[in-house]
Amino acid sequence: MNLILVFEQLLNGVQLGVTLFLMAAGLTLVFGIMNLVNLAHGSLYMVGAYLAVTAIDWTGSYLLGTLLGLLGTLVVGMLVEVIALRTLYERDHLDQVLATFGLILFFNELVAMVWGRTALFSSLPSYLQGHVEIIPGSIYPLYRALVIVIGLAVAVALWYVVTRTRLGMLIRAGASNRTMVAALGINIRLLYTVVFGFGALLAGFAGMLAGPIYNVQPGMGELILIQVLVVIVIGGIGSIRGALVGALIVGIVDTLGRAFLKPLLGAFISPPAAESAGPALASILIYLLMAVVLALRPEGLFPAKSGG
Amino acid sequence: MSARALILAACVLLLAAVPPLAQLAGQLYYIDLIRRVMVFAVAAASLNLILGYGGLVSFGHAAYLGVGAYAVGILAFYGIHNGWLQWAVAIVASALVALVIGAISVRTRGIYFIMITLAFTQMLYYLGVSVEEFGGDDGMRLKVKSQFSGLIDLNDPVAFYYLVLALLLAAITLVHRIVHSRFGMVLRAAKSNEARSRAIGFSPYPYQLVAFVISGAICGLAGALLANHTAYITPAFMEWTRSGEILFMVILGGMGTAPGPALGAFALLIIEDLLAGWTEHWQIILGPLLVLSVLFFRRGLAGLLPGGGRHG
Amino acid sequence: MAEAILDARGLRKSFGALVATDGVDLDLREGETHAIIGPNGAGKTTLISQLAGNLRPDAGSIRFAGEDVTRLSAPQRARRGFARSFQITSIYRDFTALDNVALAVQAHAGHNFRFWRPARAQRSLRDPARAVLEEVGLGARADVLAANLAHGEQRQLEVAMALATRPRLLLLDEPVAGMGLEESQRMVQFLSGLKGRRSIILVEHDMDAVFTLADRISVLVYGRIIASGAPAEVRANPEVRRAYLGEEA
Repeated sequence: MNLILVFEQLLNGVQLGVTLFLMAAGLTLVFGIMNLVNLAHGSLYMVGAYLAVTAIDWTGSYLLGTLLGLLGTLVVGMLVEVIALRTLYERDHLDQVLATFGLILFFNELVAMVWGRTALFSSLPSYLQGHVEIIPGSIYPLYRALVIVIGLAVAVALWYVVTRTRLGMLIRAGASNRTMVAALGINIRLLYTVVFGFGALLAGFAGMLAGPIYNVQPGMGELILIQVLVVIVIGGIGSIRGALVGALIVGIVDTLGRAFLKPLLGAFISPPAAESAGPALASILIYLLMAVVLALRPEGLFPAKSGG
Repeated sequence: MSARALILAACVLLLAAVPPLAQLAGQLYYIDLIRRVMVFAVAAASLNLILGYGGLVSFGHAAYLGVGAYAVGILAFYGIHNGWLQWAVAIVASALVALVIGAISVRTRGIYFIMITLAFTQMLYYLGVSVEEFGGDDGMRLKVKSQFSGLIDLNDPVAFYYLVLALLLAAITLVHRIVHSRFGMVLRAAKSNEARSRAIGFSPYPYQLVAFVISGAICGLAGALLANHTAYITPAFMEWTRSGEILFMVILGGMGTAPGPALGAFALLIIEDLLAGWTEHWQIILGPLLVLSVLFFRRGLAGLLPGGGRHG
Repeated sequence: MAEAILDARGLRKSFGALVATDGVDLDLREGETHAIIGPNGAGKTTLISQLAGNLRPDAGSIRFAGEDVTRLSAPQRARRGFARSFQITSIYRDFTALDNVALAVQAHAGHNFRFWRPARAQRSLRDPARAVLEEVGLGARADVLAANLAHGEQRQLEVAMALATRPRLLLLDEPVAGMGLEESQRMVQFLSGLKGRRSIILVEHDMDAVFTLADRISVLVYGRIIASGAPAEVRANPEVRRAYLGEEA
């Protein structure tokens, strides 16, 4: 186990982390501002991936296809908000969970009907294939490095918007006092639709970025959704900062665990035992982490002050 | 007897009449189908205890189905086929898992609780997938069903059917007694008004945790039943989508009512069965149906019975 | 002189920049009815919440019957004999009035990890509950769902629940809030029947109630006690008249 390998896995962890962050940010924003639990957030991720792949195939251009895919996801997101979610803002969390669960079933099947159940191949244009040498001796896939950079850029942009712009102020004000913001003449409904659309965009973006790395198939949203929930619980609900910290922690722990736990264990216990215990432990590592964090800080690491 | 009691008694009689009727009609498939529904009704009844009466929205109940099923499967794998032992282990193991998960989650509130229980059930799913000895993702067959030393042969579909029916009635009765006992009143009070409960001297946490454990234990029994019913045990038993289904059963049937879980299990699984027979893409219909039911049919089926959806 | 059953010293509580409780000393003698009055926003409910254990004071101590209870939670204090009624009615709306009070009786009685026998069939819970309901005048409404009770009846239920735990200390937060004239007079009459038999801290706006019931009055303004003493004294105090009673007195 050499340092270069560790470094590469660390980068992979950060890459997973930023993917999780893009998802968690959208989910936590929607929860923090509209007090809406949206389990179908993973479906938007999936839709983003599928639309991107399809648009790229259709237009033949990676950039144009990506843009169309994102636009499509935004539209789908806003449609979902207007048609199905508006009535849920007033309902309790249980109702929201159940209703969005129904949406998951719907979207998974819809995607399977249109594109089939086998995984789609998501190809990269030639200029995105290839490698970069980040530290001497270590070559890292260019695309993954790009994902990291883009993800962190989005994080910074998001931070800027939320803390430094009027829109961000409105968003934070809306989170702590809806009626007041409405009384000020701000169209709350429009604000909600915009926020939700934005969250959908983030999810779709994450899906589009993830396509070439992970599998594009029905149900892909739920696989990542669970990890996103762990991120939010660890980071604290309603907090962008918590989403970033939590996402990076989860991404890194999960990736390093899967890569190194088995060999690590093998140094202490017999190889056959490590053979089975390693992967088993690695697969539940982030949940154990979540349990530990909860035991010490039941509200997560950076819970937003204003309740939803 | 009130109209409500009469209707419910009729339902039980109808359930008891299924095997002979099915045999007469030559449609043995129904014995299997209804038996499966009843197993899930047990799971739903266990969730109803903490959800309908305790106000704890657990999105992780499938975990206990899995633990119970795997308890049976793993013991059978090592040649232990004694049903008494297997099922006892299923119940105790589920109770222990519920204790651990509950101790961590019950402290949390609202949305955290939902997310955490969901995460833990998925964790168990991944654990099941990664342990290769017991089949990993593919799961394992239960070649020999739980043995009850000649008392009952689970290979006899009708005998097994009546056993499940009896256990379902027992589970519903147990939950009913619990929620009306002193313990149950405290649990329901905590759900109704936590601040008031604390003001008169109740700390909700111990009661909610105990309820959580009891609920897990009953669901573990359902898991043992399921393992014997399908004769196949896979990690999919513990998937969170399964948790969602159980949750829906409780809601559709009417949470916080005695017959609710059973009604909901029937409604959901029969609808699924019908839809699946109709089209391969039945989920695209079920999904919106579920959404609509949440939006417009919150009181559930039990609310349609005389006496309404009110729990006693 | 009767012993001080409750002794709060130096209580301080801030919410961000807002100082709700600013160094409050308060004591209650056994069998005494000590009223706390003050203008809106003075911090009366915050004070009660700290005494009851719903809020942790930032500083200060609270002693009950000689024991330091500052660190104890609300349920723990309740089990030691605290009872509280809330300013905004807080009852079990989906249970009957009798159920509500029986739960309070049950809280005090213990043995709550019993899973089989129906609680509603237990005379040891129902009988004392009925008796308390009769005492406060709700006897006839025992089987009515709490949500269906009139507002004044719900306030009576609040008091009934507080009494049902056989408390050594009653913290009543505006018991006649929102009640009509006749109802509040009935409630005041009932509460005056408790005088001497219970130790009561009473937060109230209704001056008739206060001057009828109180053995001692403390005036809370902006989180500080500006005057404390016998009703006649307080009534005559010029600072109090300026800060609170205005032209009324």
